[in-house]
Amino acid sequence: METTTVTGVARAGAGSSGSMPLPEGHKTVGVVTTPDPLFVCRSVDVYYGDKHAIKDVSIDIGRRQVLAMIGPSGCGKSTFLRCLNRMNDTIPGARVEGRIELDGNDIHDKRRDVVQLRARVGMVFQKPNPFPKSIYENVAYGPRIHGLARDRAELDEIVNTSLRRAGLWDEVKDRLAQPGTSLSGGQQQRLCIARTIAVNPEVILMDEPCSALDPIATARIEDLMDELAQSYAIVIVTHSMQQAARVSKRTAYFHLGDLVEVGPTDKIFTNPSHKLTEDYITGRFG
Amino acid sequence: MNIDIEGHTSRAFDGALSSLHLRIMEMGVLVLQQVRDAAQAYTVWDQNAARTVLEREHAVNAYDMSVDEETLTLIARRQPVATDLRAIIAMAKIVSELERAGDEAKKIALTVLGRAGRAGERPGPATSRDARHLGKLAVDLLRLGMEAFDQLELELAEVVVKRDQDLDNEYRDGMRRLLTRAMEDVRYFNVALEAAFVLKSLERIGDHARNIARLIIAMAHQRRQPQRQL
Repeated sequence: METTTVTGVARAGAGSSGSMPLPEGHKTVGVVTTPDPLFVCRSVDVYYGDKHAIKDVSIDIGRRQVLAMIGPSGCGKSTFLRCLNRMNDTIPGARVEGRIELDGNDIHDKRRDVVQLRARVGMVFQKPNPFPKSIYENVAYGPRIHGLARDRAELDEIVNTSLRRAGLWDEVKDRLAQPGTSLSGGQQQRLCIARTIAVNPEVILMDEPCSALDPIATARIEDLMDELAQSYAIVIVTHSMQQAARVSKRTAYFHLGDLVEVGPTDKIFTNPSHKLTEDYITGRFG
Repeated sequence: MNIDIEGHTSRAFDGALSSLHLRIMEMGVLVLQQVRDAAQAYTVWDQNAARTVLEREHAVNAYDMSVDEETLTLIARRQPVATDLRAIIAMAKIVSELERAGDEAKKIALTVLGRAGRAGERPGPATSRDARHLGKLAVDLLRLGMEAFDQLELELAEVVVKRDQDLDNEYRDGMRRLLTRAMEDVRYFNVALEAAFVLKSLERIGDHARNIARLIIAMAHQRRQPQRQL
């Protein structure tokens, strides 16, 4: 079976977050860097076998900021998202090249524990996927395996805080022992968000988190994202341009594996610089 | 350069945008006729023509309201962004400019009918000539503005902005001549006062044409950066 290989690209200044220079010939329109970035990605390429899924992508991801990634199906936005917590490692034949730093440290460093990485970089998926356990256990599981609580009281506190921060506490406080799967779709998604924040991550990756939810549940998740962005960096992949426009501060547009344009969301949705971005957001694509 | 408001994957959206464009063109043609007839009614002192202008004013207002509705519906249903949003907002503003140009035509018609709150004095030959000249310039400018909107052509819109200056200069000269005549013969004062309002209306119509042209330019305005081929 093929395995995932990771090649670090050595560059001058690599290793110091924020100071890593952009590669020569970097073509993305707009400002891809941010002051004091959490993630610094430089010249990232992803291959699935022969398929070149991500082409030379360089971008910074800021702290306490929502970055939306938009683009047509197959443009590489989800693939890029999955690079950030090394989820592509689990895909046979996937190969990631380039350098991705989290707080100045290469996430592909051989000494790095990928489980620890995924605790720092949490992920919420398209379909809510609570464990087949109680609401309490869904949230308590992560802190328990990562040893974040010394005793039951501390664990209770983490569960309580996480559910509160996910805006779910009032709805579930009287039925913590019931299965997570007994909740509605929107509640399940918030349970997954509570589960993610229970291990105290720095970044939350969201891959179309609202596509299976109704407008009210979507509005609650979006509202929650606003709050969470006070403490965490959030990267969201979405097919809904209105959602990207509503929730994000920065928007990145991907097209056939290229990062075409990055800019403040206000600008991208009123006056994008690249014609491909304009064509996509105005529905003139293809 | 022409601005392309079509080319969406959704042909229904293209259809809705071009229907909005067409409706505004219809309104523009009507306003143009209003301005031409009102200026003519004043210069030849034709009260029947002035009455016709007043009767048609309702149609201008009806266009204004229906285009407003259409614009709101389009925004609500399509949630346009970027060039589409700019185009729709610009079109809504163009409608306001047309409606105001129509109002100026109405004011001229009211003057001819003596219903503008003043006596309603018929102009003498010299004043008539000034009004005819200014009226022609205003009609030409508005027609050119509507042509620029019809073809969504940037260069034509820029010509309109430039030519409004000529109209402003003519207006100033016309006003100076009016004042001179009023000072020479005080009995002429009432005529000059009426004429001053009419000339001002014609000058304002030119300003509305210029604003329409500026809105067309704003529709096209984008700071594109050099782009690579992907």
